[in-house]
Amino acid sequence: MAYPFQLGLQDATSPIMEELLHFHDHALMIVFLISSLVLYIISLMLTTKLTHTSTMDAQEVETVWTILPAIILILIALPSLRILYMMDEINNPSLTVKTMGHQWYWSYEYTDYEDLNFDSYMIPTQELKPGELRLLEVDNRVVLPMEMTIRMLISSEDVLHSWAVPSLGLKTDAIPGRLNQTTLMAMRPGLYYGQCSEICGSNHSFMPIVLEMVPLSYFETWSALMV
Amino acid sequence: MPDGLWSSSPSHPPGLDCVPSFLALKFFLNEMKSLEAELNPPISKKVYNYIYNYKEHLPFKLLGILDVENIPCARDSVLYGSLGSVVAGLGHFLLTSRIRRSCDVGVGGFILVTLGCWFHCRYNYAKLRIQERIARDGIKNKILYESTHLDPERKPTTDKNSS
Repeated sequence: MAYPFQLGLQDATSPIMEELLHFHDHALMIVFLISSLVLYIISLMLTTKLTHTSTMDAQEVETVWTILPAIILILIALPSLRILYMMDEINNPSLTVKTMGHQWYWSYEYTDYEDLNFDSYMIPTQELKPGELRLLEVDNRVVLPMEMTIRMLISSEDVLHSWAVPSLGLKTDAIPGRLNQTTLMAMRPGLYYGQCSEICGSNHSFMPIVLEMVPLSYFETWSALMV
Repeated sequence: MPDGLWSSSPSHPPGLDCVPSFLALKFFLNEMKSLEAELNPPISKKVYNYIYNYKEHLPFKLLGILDVENIPCARDSVLYGSLGSVVAGLGHFLLTSRIRRSCDVGVGGFILVTLGCWFHCRYNYAKLRIQERIARDGIKNKILYESTHLDPERKPTTDKNSS
């Protein structure tokens, strides 16, 4: 989950998010080097007494600052495209869960085996127990088995919403009249928080998502209890 | 006083029926602030980081962006880059005695050596992660399937009773 003063990404729970974290480190190192170079050039410009008021052309430096950025962009684009196509792979999901966005809550349907559906509302601040997270806790969490590929079908009943869980590297728009698909796989158990990521009205900030990833046996017990 | 004035749920601020709405809203907002202050007591960034991130100090970030402590290969790359920068800049100065050009060579050396070490280290790190994942899956499968009919190391037993 997020914590105050956080600047970086959350810890990765899925393999895709791990890849995204590493790509972020890669891009950040390139940004750091370019920033260092620019700072150095600025310091040179500020500390020189030399002036040249009749520059007509500068073929060498123009060649360098055309080819070098092209090379840098290629170095950034290749891993980026690799991850982009990796995110679109469908690895034979074991379970399908549908989620519908409403104003202002999410509803979930597990219809593979039994007809299970429930709504997930945010717990208001005044009803939180000590230690619970403000604006993030919900009354009914989405319980899912860990280490299994799960297909999420996302849509909306009214306006645009977006189903996002940063720790799993997921963000998919919930569009009325359209069914979007994403796959998720969590490599470790735990609670993973997300929030609606598309402006949808006055309570847009108050419709969080909580995934509870548990071992398969716990998931089977939970689904049997919920039906 | 209407029934349920003090027994109503917190989402219905008490006194709404008989108090002007802006006063009720002000009261409600004050209540929320005090509840929030009680649930989230103000603590410094350092203390919060210590409690929730188990760190004695805030992470050090170069130029405010590059977390050299936690990003794999970042610290080594920057240190090798600094060494390369010093060697290149100093060497150029000793050869040419030109200060400004030696500084430029030093910065260029820093960028090239950092980038080179970064790619080399990240490539090896990626290979290592793949090997770790294969080993982890192998250990898990061994624990799960050892001595069962799915164990690949199990030798097929011949049926001696067949005539």
